[in-house]
Amino acid sequence: MAMIECRELTREYHKADQVIRPLDGLNLDVPRGDFLALMGPSGSGKTTLLNLIAGIDSPTRGSLTVEGSDLAQMSRNGLAAWRSTHVGYVFQLYNLVPVLTAYENVELPMLLQKISRRQRHERVSLALERAGIADRADHYPRQLSGGQEQRVAIARAIVTDPPILVADEPTGDLDKASAHTAMTLLQQLNQDLGKTIIMVTHDPQTTEYAKHTLHLDKGQLVEAGVEREEVPA
Amino acid sequence: MTLLRCLPYVRKQMTRHRVRSLLTIAGVAIAMFLFTSVQAMNRGVAQATRTTAEDTTLVVYRADRFCPATSELPQDYLRRIEQVDGVAAAIPMMVVVTNCRTSLDVVTFRGVPKDGFISARLSEIEVVAGSTEDWQRRTDAALVGETLAERRGLRPGMTFDAAGITAYVAGVFRSDDPQDQNVAYTALPFVQMAGRDRLGIVTQFNVKVTDPAMLDPVANRIDELFVHASEPTATFSEKAFIGRLADDIIELVGFARWLGLGCLVAVLALVANSIVLGVQSRVVEHAVLQTLGYSGWLVAALIVVEGTLLALVGGVVGAGVALAVAHFGSFALSVEGTTIPIAADAKLLATGLLICGAIGVVAGLVPALQASRRQIAACFRSA
Ligand SMILES: Nc1ncnc2c1ncn2[C@@H]1O[C@H](COP(=O)(O)OP(=O)(O)OP(=O)(O)O)[C@@H](O)[C@H]1O
Ligand SMILES: [Mg+2]
Repeated sequence: MAMIECRELTREYHKADQVIRPLDGLNLDVPRGDFLALMGPSGSGKTTLLNLIAGIDSPTRGSLTVEGSDLAQMSRNGLAAWRSTHVGYVFQLYNLVPVLTAYENVELPMLLQKISRRQRHERVSLALERAGIADRADHYPRQLSGGQEQRVAIARAIVTDPPILVADEPTGDLDKASAHTAMTLLQQLNQDLGKTIIMVTHDPQTTEYAKHTLHLDKGQLVEAGVEREEVPA
Repeated sequence: MTLLRCLPYVRKQMTRHRVRSLLTIAGVAIAMFLFTSVQAMNRGVAQATRTTAEDTTLVVYRADRFCPATSELPQDYLRRIEQVDGVAAAIPMMVVVTNCRTSLDVVTFRGVPKDGFISARLSEIEVVAGSTEDWQRRTDAALVGETLAERRGLRPGMTFDAAGITAYVAGVFRSDDPQDQNVAYTALPFVQMAGRDRLGIVTQFNVKVTDPAMLDPVANRIDELFVHASEPTATFSEKAFIGRLADDIIELVGFARWLGLGCLVAVLALVANSIVLGVQSRVVEHAVLQTLGYSGWLVAALIVVEGTLLALVGGVVGAGVALAVAHFGSFALSVEGTTIPIAADAKLLATGLLICGAIGVVAGLVPALQASRRQIAACFRSA
């Protein structure tokens, strides 16, 4: 059984009498340990799919099963608890809390866990080290470069040791060198720690770090090549 | 509990949004300073004018007079008053004040017969400095109430001038009766002879009745005695007497109650404004917390805790300063020789903090619920 199973997955928004359907009956299986790159034109539903898999949005129709749990059936509180242990989210704009240091940002997800202060410290330090940003633990986000911020964000996503990582254009705001560092880091997390990674990207170069690349258009998976006619934004 | 582990996060939000927090706290503190001051005066009025079941004191005053300077009664009324059924003791008193109008710093002399005072009142006061022996020995000696002594910096052995009287401080005393706390007791003839010769004349008689139920019958009986005399009397329970002389100030303080209420509304508006702005500017941050696994309830609780802490810190500062000012300033509102105390105590502080806490919760509730119910994914889009 695949780790993530999408069946006829549909997400609709109603605006006045108009129906917007960013995801339209999507079928997708992601096996454990995969590193999947999602490409597609703007508005094709990539972020929508990522949000559903990360449990911060709910499908209108269809089923979404992750590690055997049907996310569509979970309550809001149930989903929150599920997220805290199952998935780490890496954003394009890092989304670090500005008044907290790198260390404190990474500590945030650990505050939900009933473990001792020392254990928490060990886990946070380990995550910072894995992300190669331990030397900046006491820095605030405004004191860090974009690449460093993204590494802190990745540390925050992996600190609870979740099996799944989702990343929405993680290198979208980074220069080439920083993008390479971040992508290498994600690749290591996939290869060394077995994290299942689903990454949205506009940059064909970053897909080279992934194991597979899938293309999305108008809320459905399409054959590679169809989107080649599209001009990346 | 998860909320407890997250409290440092709330603390950092407060200390690292320093300007916002300080402005809110300062606003709350000012409003709570005013509220506490108004409450202290209100409670002082209540203490001074609300009759309780234990009250046994009557004041015999000259009819139709409203100021110690114009209330003159013959001292020899004393014998006839003492013979009225239900009278336990009566003390003739001449009252001299530095200022007949309402003021925060009035010195009130009460001239009393020393022996009568010792036998009737000594058990009700506690001499905290100096001695009553010294007071009885010297003709110009004064026993000074604690509030007055603290305000004027008076200690035994000093002499002080007020209202044309130069008195020697023989002792400082403490009393539960606010009317005592703000006066200087001296010998009756000493006050009568101050300035001009008024021997044989007093301002009022303070009469103790044997039983609280006797207040009205005794008052009526006394007034009947002198109804045809050239100096008729008007007798009231002590609290009613104060209410009669201090009616302007009581009305004013009663009106100030609305001011106090307004202060609470201001606190609510301030804290609510601060929280609403904080929540609006942190929409993405709260969505991030929820993405990390924080439940909507936990995020809401963190917001409410932050509002409550802001309100409480402001409340502690404001009410604390108000209490300190009242305590160390030793103020008392004096009107026509009567005293309206400023009743600021720990209970008032506790009440203020309770109100602040409640306001903080109320102010945070709506924005907290909104933040907890937002569609998480939509928060990232709007940013
Ligand atoms: N809350 C919403 N209400 C209405 N429409 C929405 C909402 N969320 C998303 N959409 C629409 O869904 C469509 C897909 O959005 P989505 O963000 O998934 O695209 P995307 O593939 O991530 O695009 P991009 O590459 O630009 O990030 C868009 O047309 C968007 O306007
Ligand atoms: Mg997107």
